[in-house]
Amino acid sequence: MTRLLAACLVFACILLAPAQAARLVSQVSNDSVEITSSFDGERMTFFGTIMPDAGSPDKTVEGPFQVVVVVLGPTQNRVARQMTNNFGIWSNTAQVEFKGFPSYFHVLSSGRLNEISDITTLTTNNILPESHTLVARSEDWWRGAVFGQQLIRLMTQDGLFGVQENGVNFLSDNFYSARLTLPSNAPPGPYIALTYVFKNGEIIARKSEGFAVRKIGFERFLALSATQQPLAYGLICVLLALFTGWLGGVIFKR
Amino acid sequence: MQIYLPIAEMSVNLFFLVGIGGAVGFLSGLFGVGGGFLLTPLLIFSGVPAPVAVASVTGQVVAASTSGALAHYRRGAIDLHLAMYLVLSGVLGAFGGVAAFALLRDAGQLDLVISLGFLILLGSVGSLMLVESTRAILKQRKGVVVRERLPNQHNWIHGLPMRVRFKKSRLYISVLPVLLIGLFIGFVGSLLGIGGGFIMVPALVYLLRVPGNVVIGTSLAQVVAMMAATTILHAVQSQSVDILLAFCLMVGGTAGAQFGASAGKYLRGEQLRGLLALLVLAVAIRFGLSLVIAPADPFSMAVVGGMR
Repeated sequence: MTRLLAACLVFACILLAPAQAARLVSQVSNDSVEITSSFDGERMTFFGTIMPDAGSPDKTVEGPFQVVVVVLGPTQNRVARQMTNNFGIWSNTAQVEFKGFPSYFHVLSSGRLNEISDITTLTTNNILPESHTLVARSEDWWRGAVFGQQLIRLMTQDGLFGVQENGVNFLSDNFYSARLTLPSNAPPGPYIALTYVFKNGEIIARKSEGFAVRKIGFERFLALSATQQPLAYGLICVLLALFTGWLGGVIFKR
Repeated sequence: MQIYLPIAEMSVNLFFLVGIGGAVGFLSGLFGVGGGFLLTPLLIFSGVPAPVAVASVTGQVVAASTSGALAHYRRGAIDLHLAMYLVLSGVLGAFGGVAAFALLRDAGQLDLVISLGFLILLGSVGSLMLVESTRAILKQRKGVVVRERLPNQHNWIHGLPMRVRFKKSRLYISVLPVLLIGLFIGFVGSLLGIGGGFIMVPALVYLLRVPGNVVIGTSLAQVVAMMAATTILHAVQSQSVDILLAFCLMVGGTAGAQFGASAGKYLRGEQLRGLLALLVLAVAIRFGLSLVIAPADPFSMAVVGGMR
């Protein structure tokens, strides 16, 4: 029944807008990014081709297409804080919390975002950085918006947020590739890459791929023991410190 | 050569870490202090998150003080009885300090308290030390023989109840001031990531009249035991001890301390104290300025809820 319905829908789509029936075949260069002791960032490539939809009579699809790749990192609860001067001393006085805020967010596109589509489409699909600040937990809407802007600015300074409007290159009419350099401070966790294909301002195809940024080997072992065996980890730190101190004394015959 | 720190979740130059560890170790060997009061601010200014810096430096202070404590122990220059009282109350204070640390971090006021704490503590200790050492230097220039304080000189503190006999220090004093000093240093040390040697030594000398030959050893033994306990507390409570960061600092620190200790032999005691006072004051002024000068960026951000 569902299949029949889906088939009907596909058929209807083909009838209504034959030129827009497209699908995306895409791939990420690495499905996992491994953090080792010498981790200093990682270069990734997203590539794909836009093809006619399955069952479509067309052999090729007509462009011009615009492609937007959105890379999202694991979510965290973040606060933005503001310092003010009270009695001559600068201190944090106001803060707004953003629950489930992405720890990493980069947009790569084949052209200027405001030329690719309208602001409503971009916001509802979370393509603009500002769309993530709507989760502000603040009574005051205006304050939430101000702190959200500042948070995006701070994240951009740290290289965790970014928009590259020339990040996607078309190698032929319907084959694209996008390059992204994950910074060394990219937080570990599950990442998702969402690819949108636009034509005349409308999304005609989309696809999502996951990849993981994770610590491996010794780094993973250390990070895991710090959170799962904190007492043993602390004891080992102390023993290591005592041993290093003792050894230093022996070597230098103090 | 870059090295990735698994807890701080950032990559730092390995030589930079060992280098500042060594430089601070040299100074700590020279002046006979743990060096935490220099290392924690240096790490914070170079981008390490404040919680990770404070917790990891605690581990480094243990290593920096161990070789000195062992050397003093072999010479029999530690009053273990007195150190035990200081450690017990110190660990109790550290519990409070680590709990306050977690509360302040979540409220976003940790940086302010660290800055204020360093300013007040280093400012007052530094000024006192500067005045005292300048007087000593001037007196010596005039040719006045500086009279050493005698251990049996008493003040009001020696009149308190609950007296205990400390054989090695040749003291028969109340335990209340001893416990109070331990408690205070435990609290402040775990909150600010410092060993507290530069508060402990003057407190033992001027308040308790502990004789000079056991002061340094006892203070070092207390720092080792208390900071070891604090490291474990930080590891359990805030899970922000970065063992790789701490180890890099330890290696630089223990090596630097040996050179510092031999360089220290060429300077006289009051000159050393005067130089240390200037250093302490410089750090205090740096923190004071950061409180009053308008920040370049009034906005900051932080991850809350401990999601890693």
